[in-house]
Parts: sequence; structure tokens; C-alpha cells
Amino acid sequence: MTAVENPMDPADGAGTGDAAPPESVTVMAELRSHLWKSKAGISGIVICSLFVLAAVAGPWLPLIKDPTKQSLPDRLTPPVGWGGTWAHPLGTDQLGRDILARLIDGARISLLVSVTAVIIAAVLGTVLGLIAGYMGGKIDTLIVSAADVQMAFPGVLAGLILVAAFGPSVWLVIIVIAISSWMVFTRVGRGLVFTLKTSLYVEASELAGASSRRIMWRHLLPNLVSSLITLCVLELAAAILSESAFAFLGFGVQPPRSSWGLMIQQGRNYVTGDGWWIVTFAGMAIAIVVLGVNLLSLWLQSFNDVAEREQIVLERPGG
Amino acid sequence: MLRWLAKRIIAAALVVFVVTSLVFVVTHVFTDPATVSLPLEASQEDRASRRAALGLDRPLSVQYWDFLSGLVVGDLGESFFQTQPASKLVFERLPATLRLVAGATAVTVLMGAPMGMLAAWWERRFADHAVLGFSMASISAPPFWIGYLLIIVIAAQLRWVPTFGSSGFKSLILPSFAIGLASAGRLAQMTRRGIVEELRKPYAVTAMSRGFSRSYTIVHHTFRNVASGFVTMTGWEVTRMFTGYTVVIEVVFSWPGVGRLAVDAIFDRDLILVQAAVVVLATMVVLTNLLVDIARRLIDPRVDLA
Repeated sequence: MTAVENPMDPADGAGTGDAAPPESVTVMAELRSHLWKSKAGISGIVICSLFVLAAVAGPWLPLIKDPTKQSLPDRLTPPVGWGGTWAHPLGTDQLGRDILARLIDGARISLLVSVTAVIIAAVLGTVLGLIAGYMGGKIDTLIVSAADVQMAFPGVLAGLILVAAFGPSVWLVIIVIAISSWMVFTRVGRGLVFTLKTSLYVEASELAGASSRRIMWRHLLPNLVSSLITLCVLELAAAILSESAFAFLGFGVQPPRSSWGLMIQQGRNYVTGDGWWIVTFAGMAIAIVVLGVNLLSLWLQSFNDVAEREQIVLERPGG
Repeated sequence: MLRWLAKRIIAAALVVFVVTSLVFVVTHVFTDPATVSLPLEASQEDRASRRAALGLDRPLSVQYWDFLSGLVVGDLGESFFQTQPASKLVFERLPATLRLVAGATAVTVLMGAPMGMLAAWWERRFADHAVLGFSMASISAPPFWIGYLLIIVIAAQLRWVPTFGSSGFKSLILPSFAIGLASAGRLAQMTRRGIVEELRKPYAVTAMSRGFSRSYTIVHHTFRNVASGFVTMTGWEVTRMFTGYTVVIEVVFSWPGVGRLAVDAIFDRDLILVQAAVVVLATMVVLTNLLVDIARRLIDPRVDLA
């Protein structure tokens, strides 16, 4: 499930984070050559780049209409191929707004919320994981129990109670997604630190009198980075899905701003009649982007997982 | 075994206690049910009288004690909007949610396990790639969107099953698939990975070199070793259902469960009722985890008794 487990080869129990060669140049070159061989990696990169492009450059793209412009005579125009015209390639919604333009507009909020949430979760979770793993003892017990409790009280439940208490807002959604994913980073980070902290270079710097903070920051953290980046990508997929679910429930972005989840919520009354395209295309946008992120993470995992890479090369005879 | 069980139950009760206390902190320290129930422009006097009516003007420690002692006997406070005991409202809806979770779990296991086995059997062949494709697609699509697609195609176009509501077995089918597909996708990948891993171990290699077929080895040798992980993952999927999927899918299909109750209560500004629903759902998660631990222990005696 997680990127750092290496179940293919139990002998290599030290995880994968420390397998990287010392020079980052070699890693990048290897990463690139591995990418070109992987269809999943290429498709993932392409989809994610398009997503980021739409989110960042959306309003300046040519031929894209104003996502907020309403036009009641054009309401519920079907997409091209179902009786629509190229004026609205993906049709229009219940207020006559262009669906393609709204999809591109919605990419921004989706990217903003999910990336911010994952960064918060990763920073918080990694710091706690480093401290728990390196310090051990009571601090470790405390942090691990907190992570266990958090496991029993995940995302949407925390979201329900916080939205009920403070009212819907985008920031609240970011916080909810972050607090429902920090413990993943804590667990993985802590597990890796456990194996790393008995290594010679850590003992050497301890003997040389380095402070705990220096050891955690300068010696342990760099060895966690590759595993944690893979984990970030994996959590990003979950975060995009969560954001869309919260928006769908009406807990996040409020109209007139648009988001993919919100489009599905607003289009839901038209699913059984003359307007199936609103929900279909908005959901498809979410699904494609999440698929792209998942493919990227699949490829990163296969790259990190040395045994898996060997498997690809070896071409096992099946059956 | 009994001592282990007692320890596990106490730990589970402790988690419920911590979670409910956290909920109490959010609903009573950072804000309070009276403030939430009133519009923003309500006057100070309105607020004060509402607080007094709900007993919120008492010291927090007294309120917390009230909350905890109520929890023990199943009293979750009074729904402000519906003027009924919140626990009654939640427990009325709980069977519907449990039905939905049961249906979705059935879909998950009945699809996930065979697909995982097929993929492992034909590792790196067409079936394996097809299962991987299904898994990637199903975990990438938001469950509520799958729900609407099923409504559009199967309920509205083909008219095989009812679109909304919960009348009988037929209406359970679509929501169960909407929730279960993603879980089945994850479970299939996990099962495949587990079996493939086991097949490389010496005992499985020995079995195959003695002439047992790959499929025989999978079924008779590796399966028991994979079962423990399988149960854990299934349990994990069930907890995901309780804490997320059911809420969203109940809204999509107008399913009269606890999740929809909570979402409706949010828009009614009924904090007590949301709190009750969340406490009950979190308890379900803890119970599921407990059951999974017990099941794992029964399947695999090597599971640590600590």
C-alpha cells in the first residue's frame, strides 16, 4: 500500500529511501530514462501537467469563454455529438454557462486546496514522525497514540463536525484534509527513522556531539525525502477526491465560484432528464486528474521499489 | 486470549472516549450549539436565553460530565431542530446505513478477492493488466460520480432498478456498487500483491516444483497466509465506508441513513444532532477495528498478543 514497504524482497528491510545514489544528477538521469520506458509515468506526467496548466493559465487560454457568464436562452445546451454546437463543446449548465470554461475554472480551486492540504499534512506529519522515531520513549507513545486516534476519526467525520460548528469554507476544507492525512506521513517517517537511526553515520554524528535537531534535520530528513515525495503524490490523489466530496456536499467553495464537486451538486437535479452532461463531465474531470496523479504515484513507487524494477527487467515466465 | 481481548476492548473504549471528548471540545469550547442554531445577526439577549434554555450557561466541566454520563447510557442530547432525542433519530437511521455498508462490503469482497486471485494467477498477462486497469479507474473516480453514472445509465436509461430511495433489495444494488467498486479495486491489488509475494516464498516454490499447478498452490497453499492481510484490508475498507463513502452516497441516492441525517442536520444548524451522528459513526469505526483484530487473531495465531 505505502511506497516504502518493500515486500518483494524481505532481505532489504532497510526501506528504499536510503538506496538512492549520492549524486542527485545520477538520480535525475535514471528517473528520466525510467520515465520514458513507463507508459503509466508518461501518461501521469502529461495529465498532471495539463491539470496544472489549466489551473494556472486558465483565464488566459485562447477560445475559452467566461465561466461566470450566464445566458438563459442557451441553458442546458447538449455537448457536440448530442445535438450541440462548437460554441459550447461540452454543452452548457442550468444557467447557460459554458461547461468547458467552468471545468477549467474549477481546476484552480481543486489544485489549490489539495496541494495546500498535502503540504500542511506532509510537513506536520513528517516533523512528528521524525521526533517520534528519533526521540522514542514517552513522546513516541504519545504521537503514535494520537495517530491511532486520528485513524479512528478520519476525514469526513471530522469535516462534518467542524463544518457544523464553524460553517462551510475553503480553509476549513484544507484543514480537514490536512488533519485526516498527517498520520500517514508520521507513520511512514517514524518507521524509516527507526531503521535509519541505528546506522553508522547517525551514531557517528551522535558521538561527534551533534544535537538531536541537527541529526534529525541534516542526517535523517534527507534520507526520507524520496519516500515522502512518493507518499505526497499518493495523498494528493486522496486530497483531490476529498476536496471534490466536500464541495459536492456543499461544505467548501460556495457559489458563484465554481469547483468540480460543486458542479456535480448543482447538476444533480438534471441527471435523469435533459442535462446528464453537467454531472458526467465534471466527474470525468475529477476522475481523469486523479487517475493522472495515481499513475504518477504508481510509477514513482515502481521506481523507488528496487525489487519491482528488477522484476520488470527480468521478465518472469508466467504460469 | 481472554486477557488480550479484554485489553483490546479497553483500548477501543479509550479511543471512543478520546474521540467523543475531541468532538465535545469542538462543539462546546470553540463554539456552542446555541450560537450555531441562531443566525449570525442574533442579539446578545437571544443568544443568552438560548444558551440558558439548552443548559449551556453552566460551567464547561458540568456540561462535560453531563455529556459523558449521558454517553454511557446512550443519551446523546436533544436535537434542537427536531425536538427529539438525538440518539433516537440516529438509531432509527442506523439500520439503513448498516444495510448499505453490508451491501458495499459484499460487492467489495465478491469482486475484489476473485479479481486479485485471477491477476496473481496470470501475473503480467492480460488478466493482470485488466485488473490493474479496473483498479486504477475505480479508485480514481469519485464514488458520488460513479453513483450518478449508475443512475444515468442503469436507472434512468435502462430502468432496471429504482433511481432513489430505499425500497427493498433492488434499491440497494446501485449504492452498494457506487461504494464498493473503489474498495474492490484496492482489495484486488492488495490480494494480488499478497499472493504474488507468497508465491515467491520457498514453500510455494517447493509446492510448484513438486508439480502442483499454480492455481492449486494459490488456493491451497498461499491463501491462508494472505487471509489475515485480506481481512485487515477489508476491515479498513469498511471503516472508510462508515466515515466517508456512506455519507456522500446516502446524499446521492437519498438513502435514509446516518450520513444524510448528519448532512441535513448541518444545514438545519442542529449541532447536537451532527455531534450524535458523528459519535455513532466513529464508534462504528472503532467496533469494526476491534472485530478485525479478533478475526485476524482467529485466522492467524501468529498475530502478536501484545
